Amino acid sequence: MIMTKKGLGASVKRKEDPRFLTGLGQYTDDIEKPGTLHLAILRSPHAHARILNIDTTKAKQLDGVVAVVTGEEALDYYGPLATTINISNNVPEIYAIAYKKVRYVGEPVAVVAAVDRYVAEDAVDLIEVEYDPLPVVVSVEDALEPKALLYEEWGHNIQLEWKTTIGDIDDAFAKATYVFEETITHNRYTGTPMESRVCIADYNPATKHLTVTCSTQSPSQVRTLIAQTLRMPEHNIRVIAPDVGGGYGTKLQANAEIIPCVMSRILGRPVKWTEDRVENLLSGMHSRDYSCTLKVGLDKDYRILGLKAKLIGNIGVDGTCQGPGTPALLVAAAYFPGPYKIPAYEAEVLGVVTNKGPYGAHRGYGKDIANYPVERMMDIMAQKLGISPVEIRRRNFIGKDEYPYEQISGPIYDSGDFQRLMDIALEKVDYHDLKKKQQEWRKQGRYIGVGMAAMLEPSGAAVFNGVFNGYQPATVRMTPEGGFQILTSHQNIGQGVETTLPQIVASVMDVDIDDIRLVYGDTDVTPYGLGPFSSRGATYTVSAVYEAAKKLKDKILKIAGHLLGADPQDLEMVNGHVRVKGVSSHEASISLKELGNKVYLWPGPYGTVPKGVDCNLECTYTWTSEVVKWVPDEHGRVNLYTTHPTGVFVAVVEVDVETGQVKINKFIVSHDSGTIINPMIADGQIAGGIAHGIGGVLLEDLAYDRNGFMVNADFQSYLCPTAMEVSDIEIHHIECPSPFTPLGTKGMGEGGAIPSPAAVANAVEDALEPFGVRVKDLPLTPERILEWINKGEVNHGRS
Amino acid sequence: MAEAGVRKKISVTVNGVKYEREVNVRTLLSDFLRRELGLTGTHVGCEQGVCGACTILIDGQAIRSCLTLAVQADGRSVTTIEGIGSPEQLHPIQQAFWENHGLQCGFCTPGFVISAYAFLSENPNPTDEEIREALSGNLCRCTGYQGIIKSVKAVAEKMQATAVSNTK
Ligand code: FES
Ligand code: FES
Repeated sequence: MIMTKKGLGASVKRKEDPRFLTGLGQYTDDIEKPGTLHLAILRSPHAHARILNIDTTKAKQLDGVVAVVTGEEALDYYGPLATTINISNNVPEIYAIAYKKVRYVGEPVAVVAAVDRYVAEDAVDLIEVEYDPLPVVVSVEDALEPKALLYEEWGHNIQLEWKTTIGDIDDAFAKATYVFEETITHNRYTGTPMESRVCIADYNPATKHLTVTCSTQSPSQVRTLIAQTLRMPEHNIRVIAPDVGGGYGTKLQANAEIIPCVMSRILGRPVKWTEDRVENLLSGMHSRDYSCTLKVGLDKDYRILGLKAKLIGNIGVDGTCQGPGTPALLVAAAYFPGPYKIPAYEAEVLGVVTNKGPYGAHRGYGKDIANYPVERMMDIMAQKLGISPVEIRRRNFIGKDEYPYEQISGPIYDSGDFQRLMDIALEKVDYHDLKKKQQEWRKQGRYIGVGMAAMLEPSGAAVFNGVFNGYQPATVRMTPEGGFQILTSHQNIGQGVETTLPQIVASVMDVDIDDIRLVYGDTDVTPYGLGPFSSRGATYTVSAVYEAAKKLKDKILKIAGHLLGADPQDLEMVNGHVRVKGVSSHEASISLKELGNKVYLWPGPYGTVPKGVDCNLECTYTWTSEVVKWVPDEHGRVNLYTTHPTGVFVAVVEVDVETGQVKINKFIVSHDSGTIINPMIADGQIAGGIAHGIGGVLLEDLAYDRNGFMVNADFQSYLCPTAMEVSDIEIHHIECPSPFTPLGTKGMGEGGAIPSPAAVANAVEDALEPFGVRVKDLPLTPERILEWINKGEVNHGRS
Repeated sequence: MAEAGVRKKISVTVNGVKYEREVNVRTLLSDFLRRELGLTGTHVGCEQGVCGACTILIDGQAIRSCLTLAVQADGRSVTTIEGIGSPEQLHPIQQAFWENHGLQCGFCTPGFVISAYAFLSENPNPTDEEIREALSGNLCRCTGYQGIIKSVKAVAEKMQATAVSNTK
């Protein structure tokens, strides 16, 4: 491995930071072309209703209003929302602006274009809509009854139904010494990037070109979805993504973005839509919201013999076209076995549609769903058996020598060492000492608990049929003066790729990262490819960049060999020069600048380039994984993820039994994501993920009432964690390089969010053990904690 | 909400430059700075006074520009992120954020830098807990606050050290 100061493995300061620090970043809302009209969207106040009539007369008469468009009028310009992802699920016919019927509170009903946003919002208030309310489907029970049908043509409310049995599951339970069953639930929550969605669409009626500037994670994917939905030739669409103020999975679709596109197409003028926070909470992507019943059979030595998982997800209005959320439930089914050895397995998945907002991706994408119930279950079983949660995990972990490990459910785990990760985490948190002290603290009326969760983070999904299929090219280009550009569809959303991808090229070419620039965020400029989702950067994009850089290096060496009269085999690249290996004389060396100058400019290619070499100093490589398996076997098993970071997370919490308040004292993380490119950035990703996990377990809840109204659609009542709630986080790394990527890197970014809810819930249960508290629904609000404490005291002991 | 259409002339000094403009009385100060003056470093994350992304200084006090009308800034002096430092000459707070990975997507960053600026001028020698509390009015969805707290601590320590060496 090359270890230069500026290359792989160094905590280099980020290249992108100076502009962000000084207010010189450029996010979509910062951009405005003269003549731009501003949009405001009238949104449904009903969770489920027929639209009888829309009267836009008064709105149109308001000074400054240029157009008001309804769902019906938009039909002349687009079709139903294109499918983002489909793994054997039902795909609804659904439009960007509601047509005939509304299906959730916040669904767009009509759109105003006006000279500024203030006027557009005034006009929205003047639109009159007559609704015929329908029965509302809020819960899974409502959906299954069914209380009403969201999509009449389906005849039911089921978007996804799937089942698999692998191994002799009945026999496993028949032989089991212990059998445990629990139903574990998780609240609905989301990523709420600080920059909400923003989209500028500019359609030129003469050229018929559409330029879309938007806050998205995936410009190429958005271009495809816009082309399909607007039925426009894709080569006439250009998607630009400038600086993006966070994504976390929530910016991976084109649903709301279709609205400005259609408005600009109608008006032939640039239009801008800036989502406000209420809109973002109502209609930005939602996640989680599930109930999972686990049944586990153990032998007398507490080794798992069989695992049954029944997962029921409350999708909301849709998770295929509005957003890509529904298959997350299948990802969970593939990964319930997690870090453990499971000889027999059964999984059943049911995803129902309801009158809640759209279902998308949010840091975890089902890996979190696989993790939370199982990691809770490990602790619950340990409690019931009267053994340590450490011990039950230890006995069931996959051993470090068993990798690559083919999990019973299909995935192939590349590398890892859970045992060592757990040892490190326990040592760093001083587990045994803590458990001892816990008893003394209890005597003083202090309830401190420690909880752990093992983490498996499948990264780099390649899903057949659609815009998440793993297609990832990168181009590396040398300029006439010997600098480099990397061109890729991989969007910077804050994860630091403007620094880490140059670090890869720096390590191949042995140049300074300041001489390398990442070019991204414009589909007219970069090769078609996917964006950052599924923690895929260090699996796919890094590998593509690395291979493209190697190809280019090869070419540079050939040309340099020709110029130096040396065999390219004998050459090396050192500090911006190509030279004969180990020789430092001037004659045996050529700078990249000199070489670039010669090829491009003075004299130019003739005589400079050896025969048979394509002298374009630019190479593209499209990296594909060798382990992805799309053809299902007899059990329906596939392998979609190439790399698997692992970890063990430990939370230490204190619960105030008077107020029910949970305070997280610290998080200790031991983590393995293979070869690390930039440790500082890797740690930042883990910490950010943990904050999302803490939010989900303690605070964040997209709460709907019986009528399908979201009761907390603003930041005053939807609580994101602040610096007061996120504790200190201490991170330790080991590196088990992936055998499936050229540099041993593994994607990462979701790992923090996946196990932290279980770690906290387990810690809270541990803290409240004297009260016999069993953690049930999330988030862990003070009211719930107090209720459980009271109930626990009544029940007097363990459940 | 003030009546639409009524306009008023205001005079505001922003980052040392005096601007005279006629604005609609209901224009938010955040919109005035961003759209009228093109100072897009002030970000809007909620328009509800919760996230702190829009934090600026008015006469040295940190306030939320999304909860303030442009007309309220009449005759006053405003400092935005653009007035704190430049890429060539980062303010020590900005430098500390850079060195300690105090930012990821950067959207919340101007608000945090301004909040930290106002906080440190009142409490140059804070404890960790005080830093957390002072910054609890700003939301960051990317960093989990680790790098931010580290940055503010680092700059406070550095400022302390300089203060001490200056008095020597
Ligand atoms: S935008 Fe002003 S506080 Fe959020
Ligand atoms: S850096 Fe992205 S929100 Fe703070």
